[in-house]
Amino acid sequence: MSTVIGNNKPKSNNKLIGTSLVIGGVVIAAMMIFGILMLLAQGGVISVSDAMFYQFLTIHGTGMIGAAALAAAGVMWYFLSRYVNLSRKVFIWFLALVLIGVVMVVVGVFSFKFASAWTFLYPLPAISASAWGTIGALLYLIGMLILGTGFLLLYIDTGRAIIKTYGSLGKGLGWDVISGKKRLEDAPPKVVVASTMVTIVNTSALIAGATVLIMNIINVINPSFTFDPLLAKNLTYAFGHIFANAIIYMAVIVVYELLPKYANRKWAVTKLFLVAWTMSTVFTLLIYTHHMLMDFAMPKWMLIMGQALSYANGLPVLVVTAYGALQVVHKSGIKWDMASGLAFLSMFGWTVGVVPAIVDATIVVNHVMHNTKWVPGHFHMYMGLGAVVMLFSFMYYLAKIDSNVKESKLDKIAFWCYALAIFSVSAQFLVSGALSTPRRWAIHYPGWMTPAVFGAIAGVFLVIATSIFIIHFVRYMKNRGTLGSDMNEQETA
Amino acid sequence: MKKPLIIGSSILLILLIPPIRVYMESIMIIHMLVQLPLLIIAGWFLGDYMISKIPKVFILSNDNGVPGIILFVAITMFWMLPRTLDEALTFPMYELFKFVSLPISGILLVDSWGKINDLGRIFIYLNYLSMFALMGWLYLDSPIQICNNYLVDQQKVLGWGFIFITAIMVLYVVQYVFTDQSELEET
Ligand code: HEM
Ligand SMILES: [Cu+2]
Repeated sequence: MSTVIGNNKPKSNNKLIGTSLVIGGVVIAAMMIFGILMLLAQGGVISVSDAMFYQFLTIHGTGMIGAAALAAAGVMWYFLSRYVNLSRKVFIWFLALVLIGVVMVVVGVFSFKFASAWTFLYPLPAISASAWGTIGALLYLIGMLILGTGFLLLYIDTGRAIIKTYGSLGKGLGWDVISGKKRLEDAPPKVVVASTMVTIVNTSALIAGATVLIMNIINVINPSFTFDPLLAKNLTYAFGHIFANAIIYMAVIVVYELLPKYANRKWAVTKLFLVAWTMSTVFTLLIYTHHMLMDFAMPKWMLIMGQALSYANGLPVLVVTAYGALQVVHKSGIKWDMASGLAFLSMFGWTVGVVPAIVDATIVVNHVMHNTKWVPGHFHMYMGLGAVVMLFSFMYYLAKIDSNVKESKLDKIAFWCYALAIFSVSAQFLVSGALSTPRRWAIHYPGWMTPAVFGAIAGVFLVIATSIFIIHFVRYMKNRGTLGSDMNEQETA
Repeated sequence: MKKPLIIGSSILLILLIPPIRVYMESIMIIHMLVQLPLLIIAGWFLGDYMISKIPKVFILSNDNGVPGIILFVAITMFWMLPRTLDEALTFPMYELFKFVSLPISGILLVDSWGKINDLGRIFIYLNYLSMFALMGWLYLDSPIQICNNYLVDQQKVLGWGFIFITAIMVLYVVQYVFTDQSELEET
C-alpha cells in the first residue's frame, strides 16, 4: 500500500513541529557557548575550575545530543505524518516529557554539580569522590529516564502507525520489495523506510538505556547493590551510540523530501536504497562495540565485528543518499536558496565527517587515537556539518513554504560563516588529536593550547551564524501561514 | 457465566492451602515467578466475572483504563522489590496483603487492558521487559544475599528465571513487528 493517507493537513501540525525545532535550535546555540568556554579553558585563556569544566562537558554533551534528537524527531514526524496516522497527543507528551527531563538534568548539573559526562558510565554516578552528591546524580539520571520515556512513547507511536499502514516493520523497510514479492513501484516511500529504521534502532537503544539508567539509580541510592561493570558499559554504549547515531538518520529525511522538489525531479526508491537502509539498521545495532576496543575482557569476536561493521556502518546509507542527491541535483537547474543549499552542504559534511571515524574504528589506529581529541573531531564534523545542518535546512524549508518571511543577504552570509566555522572547530579537534591531545581533559599542556584557542574563536562565529538561522525561523513562527509556496502541497516520493 | 468465577476462586483456594503455600514460598523462584503471577491470574478470572456482574462500578471507577493500569503497575512493582518478598515470609500482615493486593491487581488488569489503547499497551509491555531484564541482572550480579529467607544460590536461579522471561518477551516483540499484521487487522 503506497497511497498517501494519514493526517493530510500538514499545516495544522506546523506549530507543534516548529516548537520542537525552536527549542532544539536554541538549546544547540546555548550549548555551543559552553563548548567555547571549554575550549577557552583548555586553551588557557580563561580559568575555569576543574569541577566546573566537567559540568560544562556534561551539559554540552547531553544538551547537544538531546536537542539535536528532539529537533530531528520533529523533522521525521513532520514528513512521516503524511503517510501514516501519527498521534498529535503523543507528540505533545513527547515535548513535555523531554522538557521536564531537560530541566532536571540542568538542575542536577548546575545546582548539584553532577558531572559524569553524558555517558554516565557506571559506577561513576555513585562514586564521585564527593564531587557531587546523591541528589545531583538522581536528578540527572531520573531526568534522563524521563527524557528517554518521552522518546520511547514517540517511537512506539511511529512503530504502531507504520505497522498499521504497511503491515510490519519489515515491510516498512521494504523487505517484500527486496525479496521480489512486491513491485518496486509499490515500495514504501523513503520517509517511511528511514523512519522504520530509526524506530527499530532507537526503541532498542532506549530499552537498553532505561535498564542501565535504573540500574545506576539503584546503585546511587544503595551502593551495596553492585553490577557487572562490563555489561553496564555495553548497555550504556548500546544506548549512547545508537541514540546519537540515529539523529542523522532522522534528519536526513529532509534531504530526501526537499531536493527532488527543488530540482523538480523524481528521486525514486531503488532496491539498492532499500538494501542499504536494512544493512544500516543491522549495523547500527551492532557496532557500538567499537567503544569497547580497549576492554580486553570483551570477547574477541565482538571487537572484530565492531571494527568490521564500523567500516561498513554508515556507508550504505551514506553512499545511496549522497549518490542519489548528486543524481537529483546534477544538471537539473535547481534553484539554490538557503534550504537547498544547507541540504546539499549537509551531505558534504556527512561524507567528510565519516572519514576520520572510519580511520579511528581501526583497532590499530584506535590504540593510538583512542580518547584523543580525534574522536570529537570526527563527530563534530558529522554532527555539526551534517545532522545539525539538515535541521537548519528544514527550518528554512518550512519558513519558505508556510510564510512570506524572505531570506536576506544576512542569511547567505550566515551560511558561509557557519560552514567555515564548524569546519574550523572540527579541524581544530582533529589537529589536537593528531598531536595526541587527550579528550575530556580540563587542563592542557601549553603545546596543546593553540588549536583550542583557534577553535574557540571559530566557535564564536558559529554561534553568530546559528543565531541568524534561528532568528529567521522564529520570525517564521510569528508569521506562520501567511503565504506558503505551492511546494507544500506538491507530491514527491 | 460462572466459569471464570469458579476458575479464579479455585486457583486462589489452591494457593491458600497451607502445605502448598509453604512449599511454594520455600523456593524463591517459585514464590516470585509462580505464586505471585498465579495470584494475578486468579484476580484476572475473578475480575472477568465481576465485570459481567457489576459493570457500572468498573465504568465509573476506571473509565479509560489509565487509573487501573497505573495501580496495577504500582502493585506489581511493589512485589518485585526483593525486600517485600522477604517480609511476606516474616510478617503475617504482609502475607495477607500479598494475597489481597495481587488478586486485586489482576482484576484491575483485566478491566484496564481492554480499555487502554495500543500505545499504552506497548508502553506497559516494554516497561516490564526492561524491568524484568534489570531484575534478572540484579539477582544474578548481587554479591550479597539480598533476602534473609533465601540463599544466594536461590537468588541466582531467580535471576536466570527473569532473564528467561525477558528473552521470551524480546522474541515475542521481534516476531510481532516483523510478521504481517495487516491481514489480522482486516478480519
Ligand atoms: C561552537 C560549537 C562547538 C564547540 C566550540 C564545541 C566544543 C566542544 C568541546 C571543547 C568539547 C570537549 C572536548 C574534549 O573532550 O576535550 C565538546 C564535546 C562534545 N560536543 Fe561539542 N562543540 C560545539 C558544537 C557541538 C555540536 C553542534 C554538537 C552536536 C550536535 C556537539 C556535541 C558534542 C558532544 C556529544 C561532545 C562529547 C561530550 C563528552 O565527551 O562527554 N558539539 N565540544
Ligand atoms: Cu559509536
